[in-house]
Amino acid sequence: MTNSGATGFNGLELHGLSRRVGNHTLVDQLSLQVAPGEILALLGPSGCGKSSTLRLIAGLDPVSSGDIRLGGRSITTLPPAQRQVAMVFQSYALFPHLSVERNLSLGMELRGMARAEIKRELDQVLALMQLQEQRQRKPAELSGGQRQRVALARALIRRPALFLLDEPMSNLDAQLRDNLRAELRTLLRSTGVPVVYVTHDQHEAMGLADRIAVLRNGRLQQLGSAETLYRDPANRFVATFLGSPSINLIERGDLQLGLRPELLELANAGSPVPAGWEALEGQLSHREWLGDRVISHVHCPGQGTLKVLSGEGFTSDTLQVRWPKAQALRFHARSGERLPGSSDPHTA
Amino acid sequence: MARMLLLLWSLGPMLWQLYSSLRPNEALSGMGTGGWTLEHYRQLLQSDPPFLTTLLNSVVVGASSTALTLALAVPCAYALSRLGRRQARALTALVAAAAAFPAVLLFLALLELARDWHLANQLLALSLPYAGLCLPLAILLLTAAFADIPIELEEAALIEGMGLWQRLRWILLPLMAPAIASSGLLVFLFSWNEYPIALTWLSRSDLLTLAPAMARIAGSSVYTIPYGAFAAATVLGSAPLILLMLLFQRQIISGLTQGAIKG
Repeated sequence: MTNSGATGFNGLELHGLSRRVGNHTLVDQLSLQVAPGEILALLGPSGCGKSSTLRLIAGLDPVSSGDIRLGGRSITTLPPAQRQVAMVFQSYALFPHLSVERNLSLGMELRGMARAEIKRELDQVLALMQLQEQRQRKPAELSGGQRQRVALARALIRRPALFLLDEPMSNLDAQLRDNLRAELRTLLRSTGVPVVYVTHDQHEAMGLADRIAVLRNGRLQQLGSAETLYRDPANRFVATFLGSPSINLIERGDLQLGLRPELLELANAGSPVPAGWEALEGQLSHREWLGDRVISHVHCPGQGTLKVLSGEGFTSDTLQVRWPKAQALRFHARSGERLPGSSDPHTA
Repeated sequence: MARMLLLLWSLGPMLWQLYSSLRPNEALSGMGTGGWTLEHYRQLLQSDPPFLTTLLNSVVVGASSTALTLALAVPCAYALSRLGRRQARALTALVAAAAAFPAVLLFLALLELARDWHLANQLLALSLPYAGLCLPLAILLLTAAFADIPIELEEAALIEGMGLWQRLRWILLPLMAPAIASSGLLVFLFSWNEYPIALTWLSRSDLLTLAPAMARIAGSSVYTIPYGAFAAATVLGSAPLILLMLLFQRQIISGLTQGAIKG
């Protein structure tokens, strides 16, 4: 929905950004752009460099090489205070000895803002975040959700040119997280500035972000919309990281086939295989009944257990699992690179 | 029951001193039943120099030593807690070694210093060796306390645009208050109780601090031990400490248990 190429100049741009500590590369030649009003999720397992990237953008760690530009201006060497960025920490980093109100206003007070103006801003943000009742409370007296709102409010009140969030939902319980996702997305969108959102949770990234950058070992694996990453992954890592239940991988010599659980179909063992389809036979090992769908775990000798997503489960124990050949993803077995073309027309 | 025993154990000696200080000499040496008297206090307060001067001297030395120690230890501890892990470990080991160094060995050298630099008979000068001896321990305690403050708090302040001084003033020091209070109290206690250096650096009787002054009371007579005067001095000498403890009770308790429970 956003076009990074055309608007990148006003937003955030990373050019070949690297961070090395000793002989350890935390972030490796990372280049990407985030347009104003766009939410970009940095997604990856822990230690993939997503938080390091955020810290580089915020100016908390020095850049080893590369350039960070914001609104067309290089901020690579500026101290954090001059970058006009706001950051929401995973732990929220609320000042425990100050009330909610003072947590929000301390920065403005120290910058010498007029008292009346501070009060106006405070009232506005507290109303927006529905925190008026809590304004005199200390962080320890707040619930997890309220603390998160205070952390967001403290970031919002700075009117930043760039919004950085480091796993802001990870301290909340799953239920609350689901409910907050849409709310947070609307809020972040309303700021009209680039937003970089770090998470290891694919649902959060897919539900919140306009585009997702998948990182692994400090390297960008793929950048695109949730749909692109899911349907057209650049490599095996991206394919396995996104999707729940995760993608099935089966060996085909030098190749690995990637089969999404919803692509697979179940049939009675020994059924004829339609043209253009491929099949494996196996034993049903167990079944997860999730209400709207069923995940059948089918053990296929030599290939491990395949997860099959279907509306209704089969009751017999020996099953055929089949899929349209053209829709299987093909990866190079060793490197994990995605190979072009998915089907071989000669072996029907 | 266990609580009563514990209370008796810790309060017993103090109450005994209080009791002794209020009894006449004859009663204390077992030669009469006596009754109650304030004679020991009267003597103490009217002696030359009056005991209050001694107390005041100790307060001055204690306060200046504490202030000097904290003024040096807080920045040191902050730096140590923010250094890279390897350098910090080496330096911390060095500081720990200094803390474990037997101070008695410095005694003669300190005496030389006092003579060469004309520091003898100067109350405030006493805070130099006191601060020096207390610094290592104070630095270690405060470093641990600084390390207990999540680094994100300071980073959040950094992003808010606060300078070093502002971060210390508004974020770190308020959170450090318990640790600073308890380290400060330890320094104060040390200088309050210190004897050998005070004995050798101070000779004018109007400058004496508590410990040497009490030694003079004890040694004033060869033939009788002035139990009553001694007890009265003990009571008066510990009163300021009790007052301090009561004042900073909350900070000290949370400072001593800091880091014990996370979150």
